[in-house]
Order: sequence, then structure tokens, then C-alpha cells
Amino acid sequence: MTDHSAIVLAAGEGSRLRPLTKHRPKPMLPAATKPILEHVFDTLIDAGVTDITVVVGYQANRVQSHFGPTHRNVPLTYVTQEKLLGSGHALLAAESAIDGPTLVVYGDQLVDGDIIADVLDTHAVADPAATLGLIPTRDVEEYGGVRVDRSHDEPENGTTVTEIVENPRDDREYYLNAGVYVFDERVLDAIRSVDPAVGESSLIDAISSLLASESVVGAIADGVWVDATYPWDLLQIADDLLTEGDVESQVAASAYVHDAATVVEPVVVPEDCVIGPGAVVGPNVCLGENVTLGANATVTHAVVDSDTRIEDGATVRDCVTGRGVLIGPGSTVVGGPADVEIGDSIHRDVDFGALLADYATDEGGSTFVPGAVVGADATVQAGSVIRGNIEDDLEVRG
Amino acid sequence: MCGIIGFVGQPGNDALDVLMTGLSGLEYRGYDSAGVALANASIEVYKREGEVSSLEAALENHQAGGQSVGIGHTRWSTHGPPSDRNAHPHTDAENRVAVVHNGIIENYEALKSSLRNDGVVFTSETDTEVVPHLIARELEAGRDPKTAFREAIGQLAGSYAIAAVFEGSETVYAARNESPLVLGIGDDGHYLASDVPAFIEYTDRVIYLDDGEYATITADTVTVTDATGQPITHDIDTIEWDAEDAGKSGYDHYMLKEINEQPTAIRECLRGRLNELTGRVELEELAGLDPDGVVTFVACGTSYHAAMFGATLLNRWGVDARAVLASEFDGGSVPLGPDSVVIGVTQSGETADTMRALREANRAGATTLAVTNVVGSSAARETDYTLYIRAGPEIGVAATKTFASQQAALTMVAASLTDHRSRELIQSLRSVANGIQQVLDDSSARAIAEAYTEARAYFFIGRGLDYPVALEGALKLKEISYKHAEGFAAGELKHGPLALVGEDTPVFALVTGGGKRAEKTIGNIKEVEARGVPVVAVTDGQTEVDRYADHVLEVPELPEVASSIVANVQLQLLAYWIANDLGRSIDKPRHLAKSVTVE
Repeated sequence: MTDHSAIVLAAGEGSRLRPLTKHRPKPMLPAATKPILEHVFDTLIDAGVTDITVVVGYQANRVQSHFGPTHRNVPLTYVTQEKLLGSGHALLAAESAIDGPTLVVYGDQLVDGDIIADVLDTHAVADPAATLGLIPTRDVEEYGGVRVDRSHDEPENGTTVTEIVENPRDDREYYLNAGVYVFDERVLDAIRSVDPAVGESSLIDAISSLLASESVVGAIADGVWVDATYPWDLLQIADDLLTEGDVESQVAASAYVHDAATVVEPVVVPEDCVIGPGAVVGPNVCLGENVTLGANATVTHAVVDSDTRIEDGATVRDCVTGRGVLIGPGSTVVGGPADVEIGDSIHRDVDFGALLADYATDEGGSTFVPGAVVGADATVQAGSVIRGNIEDDLEVRG
Repeated sequence: MCGIIGFVGQPGNDALDVLMTGLSGLEYRGYDSAGVALANASIEVYKREGEVSSLEAALENHQAGGQSVGIGHTRWSTHGPPSDRNAHPHTDAENRVAVVHNGIIENYEALKSSLRNDGVVFTSETDTEVVPHLIARELEAGRDPKTAFREAIGQLAGSYAIAAVFEGSETVYAARNESPLVLGIGDDGHYLASDVPAFIEYTDRVIYLDDGEYATITADTVTVTDATGQPITHDIDTIEWDAEDAGKSGYDHYMLKEINEQPTAIRECLRGRLNELTGRVELEELAGLDPDGVVTFVACGTSYHAAMFGATLLNRWGVDARAVLASEFDGGSVPLGPDSVVIGVTQSGETADTMRALREANRAGATTLAVTNVVGSSAARETDYTLYIRAGPEIGVAATKTFASQQAALTMVAASLTDHRSRELIQSLRSVANGIQQVLDDSSARAIAEAYTEARAYFFIGRGLDYPVALEGALKLKEISYKHAEGFAAGELKHGPLALVGEDTPVFALVTGGGKRAEKTIGNIKEVEARGVPVVAVTDGQTEVDRYADHVLEVPELPEVASSIVANVQLQLLAYWIANDLGRSIDKPRHLAKSVTVE
């Protein structure tokens, strides 16, 4: 099958990734060096999709201005979800793009092309009301669990879906909902038929309702599926993409690397970057465009987003930075295992040196204790020791 | 003025489709009337006052006859008001030939009276109408269409890109002199247009005609000759712009899209040109350009403000420079000699006033440099040096991203010409894209615009590099909101303009940096504030200007140069939202055209 249309849901913020999402939605966070959403588009286009509708909402501007009207010559049509009332509501915003079977995916998860191909193939053979991509894994608690009836399985026809549960906590056997769907117009009625729970209309509830009257099948697929839930997941994703070779270790031609700098692969140094004399970059470092490493700066295991400057003599390990961050001269992000507080839960022993969100400024000579989180637009005065969370826009001396 | 299109298709291609698409792609060049002529056994002409959409309405009665040959025109009035009658194409009395034209025929009065003496009756007030009548006279003298066309064009003085079709012929004839004309080489046929976007949907292979050249276009061949009929060989260029670049990508207006594209445009402009390790600007394009004499910038409108920005920097870095309005640059207005460097700043590379100034500089033996956005434009081809600003196509009539890219490009030109070596400057330029993104993420311009939509007039002040930005802020607002707006050097306020201010005339003050210039501007603001005038400060917070301001448009704290480029983005957003609140036609403001190819 070729010439597929796809709808990509990219309207949500992804609040568990705050403060990285203050100025952009989760789909625009970096997976290695390019936004998650760009990987999603690439996978769709490689799978034969020739027309993409993108549902935007939270900080839509960032999506529209980054991609413009096309990606790799495939036209992008933007529709806006004016109020963020859930994934079902988001799909309704793209109603006019559903004309016969249509691929629907989330813009904030990395999905293997094989999963998409399996879902499309299964849907074409079985011709149900909806087809879901399913992944065999035990780890479904944070996501959607899908129950199936395998008693009369015919692999090409997919597997009958019997139940779909958000964040299942019981001991039953579930498949992971990969968030790759083929729907037709019937899903729209199903979304409308469901009373919005707590003001939000969920796509999962709509699928549950669809199950009651129509055939819904699952395509059980073996393929990589990655979701960034917490900021340090961005480090893991970058590691995986570099290891698997999905992102190539390389230094762009337009980057300026001083003769006396050391580049330890794998690293990605894209266009316009500057690596100063004596600097050491890598291994496992993904820089965004126009990043600067000053003289003798040392950066290891890090995702450093565009326009960030890491000044002379700074040492940065196990670190995630947003765009336009300044890490001042002589500062140290110590790196290593940490206990990190996110919302009201504490995550122990995470390999996470620090997070500095978009436009955060460190004046230099500071020490970031493992697990430090500096909010967007916050300022760290020279010579501070930073532990725990610094809120957005604050100026701190510690 | 203003845009022409032509198409000769292989049999089975509908010329009307191609022409209508082309006219939409050319609307930025003018849009007070539009028309098409389709040719086969006879010529059918459809034309209307108004935008291309009014022409579509007029075409409802058209029976699709499968004509594969035609020409089209979108007009911006120079001779005669916009009307159905004055719209192009124009024909002779017997409908044997139809002509579209962009430019001005300077001797049309003389030609008209000569034709009148022959009994020709004119139906329009345009200069263009002389052309079909001249061609008809040549036809009557027994000449074939190709010769008749060339003989007629030979009688014209002035600027023109002209295309003509003849009854019973499947050929389009074209000629160019001082107005842009480009040919497109496609698989389904061949194209001609004032600019590439008119046919980029169909082909990206093009031939740029030079002044004094003639083209004969059929479905199978394109031949270019000089005025005597001698063939001229041209290279075929490939255009790298994406046809879909013309889409609005979800924004309500091209202008807002283009404002938001500025971080990307700036990156493209700077890429490979800044070496922070050495502190040098590296412009290969300018290799060998080493001015001994005064540097003169020539430009119009927004480009003139960018030119002032460049001249200010050149002067600071030790080279005498001045910015002159291209329309004021004529014989003797500026001393020119072999030592002079003249830099033409023009987005389109076709601005008639700027082109004329550059040609005059060429004749005087000066070294000329074009700073332009359009590859292969007249400015690029007729100057000694060319620097492209790489902003990508700009569709909104009000220039936004091209101004930012011009500021960045001219900063690099100034550094390059003065051999100014500074890591601080390189860092400053490299911080622009991020600074603009910060403004786009956080701007409160929309809310402030709402507070001042009903103001009687708007004043903008700035000092140093912020002065040209103040002028540009005022120009942007007047262009798209139709409200009265003026920019002044901050220190000039007390020398006259202060008499104009009042409670219903907000003053927008640019205050960037923390130095003496900023402090002096704050002094000027106090004079205004003391008179009960609303003040909006555009500032990076390095001074206490917010104490004297009713509202603040914040910009991030950035080094000089970057701060002025970034501050301008707040004024673009302010103008956009005021015009939007007033319901203006933002992408196509009344009376204005994108590329002004008449003097």
C-alpha cells in the first residue's frame, strides 16, 4: 500500500517534562539532535505517507515555524486544537482529514517504522473499524494496556481487541498500546458518544466505546517504541539512537572545531557549532545547531540544545540543556546518580547530572549537584551551588 | 507594473490553469487588475479590475476550449487608474495580437500620436496599448509575427518585459529591457514570467533573459536572440526554492509566518560566514573588495533603513559611509569616481530606483555591490559583487524577515570592508537567532497593540543603531495599519516633533544597552512622559527606562547590533497586531506592491 494519509497529534504540552516544556510542546524536545516530531514525520514518510495533517495547540508556533509548509516535500496541513481537551477532542479537530482509513499517531513518541507498516498491513487485510499497534511488554503501567482474545488468531487478520485500559494497575496480561492507529469515520462518532471524563475527551475512551459495537483489531508488532516521560529519558533516547545508528555520529562541515579540541565519538556536532581550543566533546554528546563550547570546556554524555553556550573551562556531564542556555566559565555539572524530585514523586538513583531549561543563565563558577533542575529563563548567580529545583524565571544565589 | 506570465503547452495542456496559477504567484507584484489572453485560431481576452479572484469570476462564462497557449498579467497602476479597460492584455483593433507588459514606455505619447495619425483609436489610457497597435501596423506592412514583434519593440524607449500572442499561432514572443523576465523550461511546455514563483509549481529549470534580448517560445523550443535576430546561448539554471514555500503553514498571514521564520532566516544568512575562533567575518563573495573611497549605500523603503544600519557601523569602524535614497541618487547628487564603492540594498534585486542608481554608479566607474535576496536578479547580474541574504522567499508585501537578514548581512559587510576583527561581534551575531526566538516566545506585543489600536498617531524614537529601527518600526505600522506613524532620532524630538505629541499619540522608545546613548534616550523619554504622553519602551532592562514607561516590550539582554535586530521584531509584532485588530489586508496593503519596478 502506498499514498497513505496520516494525522499526527502534537497539541499537548507533556507536563511531566516541565520545565523543558515552558516554551514548546513535548514533540519539539530533542531526540538526539532533532525534535521528536521530526523523527515521527521521517518514520511516516519512510512508511509511504504522502500527506500529513498535524494537530497543534500548546505553543503551536514552535511547530509551525520549525517545519513550515512541508517536510521532505510532503505537505503538512496544520489544524489547531483551540482548547486542550484531550486526545479524542484533538482528533475531532482534524475531522476533515479523515476520509476512509487514516493513520493516526502521537507526535511525542518515537515509533519504529515496522510497527506502522504492520498496522497498515493488518488493517488492509482485516478491514475492521480500527486497528491498533500492540507491543508485547510487561511495562504498561505508565501507558495504555490492551487486552486481546488470541483464541482464534490468524496473524494476517490481527488479533481481536477486547479491552483497552489507561494506566492498568492489575495483574492481568496486557499488551502496550503503541499509539499507532488506523481509524475511519466511525471513530468520530465514538469520540462524540463518550461523555468527557473530567472535562477531557480521551481517544482511549472512544476506542473502548467503539469496541462495544464494532470490530477492533490489534497488530502485534516487534519494534522499538520509546517515550520520554522524564527529562533524563532524553539522555537515554540519545544514547539509544547513537548506539543503534539511527543517528549518525558526525561533525558538520559548517562547524568550527579548533585544531586543539578533542572529539570523542559518538558525538553529533551540527551546523554552525564552535568547539574551542582544548575542549573535549564526547562520547555520547548530541549538540543542537549553533552551540558553542569554549576553550577547555569538557562535555560528556549530554544533550545540549541549539544556541547554548558552555563557556571556557566548564565541565558538563550527564546533562540536558534546553535552547539558548548559558553555562558560565568554570561551572561544573558533576554528573552521576541522583535522587530527583518531579512533582510529588521522587526518582532514585537516576543517572542525571542536571537539567537547565530554555534560556536559563548560569553566570559561571557554579556547581550543579546531581539531579539539579534549573527552570526556564532562570538565572544562577556566579559561584552558586545548585541542588534540587529552581523555578522558572527565578534569580538565585546559592 | 507589475507581473506577467506566458505559457505554451504541449497539446492537451490547459493554458488557463497555468496562467491563473501563475497570476496568483505574482499577486505580490501588484493586484489592482488582472487579465489573460488565450490564443489559437482567434484570441480570447478576459480582464477585470481587482484581485485575481475577480478575474476568476469573469472567467465563469469561459468555455474550456483546451487552448494551450496564453499570456496573463496582474497590474499595479502607473498610467491610468485601475479599471477593466486599463487592465492588460491589450489588443489591436482587429484582435490579431494581444500584449502584456511590465514597465514604463517613456515615448508612448509620441508613438500614440503617430498611430493616431494612421487612424488608430485607443481604448485605454495605458502606455502599453501602443504596443499591439505598433505590431499590427507591422503586420499590415506584410511582416510575419516574429519580425513584426521585433520591429515594434525596436521603436520603444523605456523599461519593459513584454509578451505577445497572435491569432492563428501557437507561439509566444517576448522581449526584455530593464524589467525582469525569466523563462521556464518544463516537460509539458514552456513558460515565461516576471518572477520564478509564477511557474515554480511546474518547473524549476529557468533561463534569465538579459536586457535587449528577444525570446520565441513554442511548445517544443525556446530560442533567444538579440535585436538583429542573432541567436544567443543561455545556461539553464535550476531553482532550489521549494514550491510549497509559498504556503502559509497554518498562520493567518504570510507576514506572521515570515516574522516567525526569522530565526531560521538569520541562521541561513550567517551560515559559514562567521568564525568565532578567529573573530573574523568570512565573506568569500567580497574577496578583492577593499574600499579606498567613500562607501555609498543606495536603497528604498525598508532596505534604506537597513542601509542606514550598515552605514552607521561602517562609520564607527573607520570607513566613511552614507546611505542615500535611491530615488534621490541621480546625476551629481553624490560625487562618484573609480575609488567609490556603491552598495545597492534591494530585497527583490529588481527595485527600479535602486537599479537605476547602480547602473549610474557602474557608468561612473565605481565598484558596485548588490545585497539582495533573489538569486539571478538584475541587481545580482549587473554589479561587480553580490552578497545574498538567503532569507528565502518573502510573500508579505511588508518586509520583515528580509529586513532582519539585511541588517545581519550589512553588519557582516561592514566588518568585512573594515577588516573589523572582534569575537564580541561574532558572538553578537550568533546570538541573534536565539534572541529573536525568545521575543517570539514571550512577546506581549499583542496585548499592547490592543491598548493602542485607536491612537491618532504613533511615534517611534531611537538612537544610534536603534534609530533606523525606529524608522522601520514606523514604516511597518503605516504600511499595514494605514495609521499615521513616524520615526525620529530620539534627540530630534525636541527640535520639532514634540509639538505633535499628545495623550492620543503613543511614543514607542527603543532603549537597548546600558550606555550613554541609552541614558540620553531616557532623557528624551522624560520630556515626552512629562507631557502626559503614553510611552511604550522596547528595552532589554539594562536601564531604568521602565520607570517612565506605561508599557514595556521586553527584549533579552544582548550585545550591541544583536539587540537592535532583535528589538525590531517587537515592533513587527506590534504593527501586525494593530493592523490585525483594525481588520486590514495585511499581506497586501492598499496601494502597495512588493517589488517596485517603476521609478
